[in-house]
Amino acid sequence: MQMLKVENLVKSFDGKEILSGISLEVNKGEVVAVIGPSGSGKSTLLRCINLLEQIDQGRITVEGDIMVHREKGMGEAAITEEAVKKIRLRLGLVFQNFNLFPHFSVLRNITEAPIHVAGMNRKEAENMALELLEKMDLKEKAEAYPCQLSGGQCQRVAIARALAMKPDILFFDEPTSALDPELTVEVLKVIRKLAAEHMTMVVVTHEMNFAREVADRVIFMDKGQIIEQGSPQEIFSNPSNERTRTFLGNFKD
Amino acid sequence: MFGITGWTDTIRLSGLLYSGTLTTVKIFFLTLIFSLPLGLIVALGSSSKRKWISGPIKLYILIMRGTPLLLQIIFIYFAPFYMLPEGMKINLDRFIAAVIAFSLNYAAYFAEIFRGGIESISHGQYEAASVLGFTRTQTFLRIILPQVIKRILPPVSNEVITLLKDTALVQIIGISELLRVAQNEASRIFSIMPIFVAGLFYLLMNWVVTKVFHKAEKKLSYYK
Repeated sequence: MQMLKVENLVKSFDGKEILSGISLEVNKGEVVAVIGPSGSGKSTLLRCINLLEQIDQGRITVEGDIMVHREKGMGEAAITEEAVKKIRLRLGLVFQNFNLFPHFSVLRNITEAPIHVAGMNRKEAENMALELLEKMDLKEKAEAYPCQLSGGQCQRVAIARALAMKPDILFFDEPTSALDPELTVEVLKVIRKLAAEHMTMVVVTHEMNFAREVADRVIFMDKGQIIEQGSPQEIFSNPSNERTRTFLGNFKD
Repeated sequence: MFGITGWTDTIRLSGLLYSGTLTTVKIFFLTLIFSLPLGLIVALGSSSKRKWISGPIKLYILIMRGTPLLLQIIFIYFAPFYMLPEGMKINLDRFIAAVIAFSLNYAAYFAEIFRGGIESISHGQYEAASVLGFTRTQTFLRIILPQVIKRILPPVSNEVITLLKDTALVQIIGISELLRVAQNEASRIFSIMPIFVAGLFYLLMNWVVTKVFHKAEKKLSYYK
């Protein structure tokens, strides 16, 4: 079943085109890794899909429901703000620098949105949060504040916070790029666990081993375009495009 | 040494200073009650993307910060009488005029502090809130404002301390606040003592203000 469909997405900043007509599909239960050099537009793609940036052109469909549709000359498709908001809640995003709410305890970071956005009752939300924390191996940190946690712990809380809204697809924007290598491991472990549960995920990453191991499909982006995509086997062992080869060559010691 | 002659003078002075202090404290608290929320609204307005909102508000801040508070007090007290046409003239109560002038003036200063605080919050906080589905109002009230308050406590405490001392300016429109009362008494008994005691009163009150802010900062120090 198709969870996400992006068609011909175009995005420019100050006249410079960052995404030049990206199209991609993500199926239910699939783990997609997006790799590519810095400035290739990977993060911008994720930000556009999560509506943190307004797209210039293109169409984004979530489980058959059109969330955004803009074409040149046609303007924006008439989709009510309410509808967009509802569709968007099916998407979750984990940021590179966590963006936890520093004034809330770990538990409240997780329960705040379920209670005040999804309308869940407090007790129920707290129980769910504790379950998520247990899964993240962080149950004992429920009452701690983000400033008392390590980067790896913060990122795991951020993942729990995103999962608490029960998204259908979870996006990760370089989830380990702000972490020391030894902390990277614990975050990747959690993402692996989610993959094993068939959570639909799109992960922008620089961790090539992780992409090779966990992803069902790898997308290589460069200069705002998808250059190549395929199974990790195809991309890592036998890339067909010169640019992919050059990029991956940089990771060989 | 201060020229106080006896108990009668001391008792009389205490009574006068008490009533002066009461006036000072009233103006102080009323100004805070009105200028803090007004300052927040002004801060939000001044950073609005709509020019017809932010333009006039920036002008207001410029005028309030760019002219003497003393002048503003005089203007607000006298303008409704002298500038309005015959038949519409208003004789504004002195005390009300003083509170209006102080509230408008301090709101401008608080607004700039609030604006600085709001702008210091990282964009990631808004983005995180937005992907979790919080509305703009929820984001501001639940996520942004609490963090802003922690950050602006030190500059706000500066303003509040200044406010308490600035209340002495209202004597220009004939309000008997603490300093004025002390001055009058000083000339009457030909002694510097009342002025000295008034100074101690201001100091004591600002010591309390300082304590309150320290407590608040400590209370919010549970996170970074």
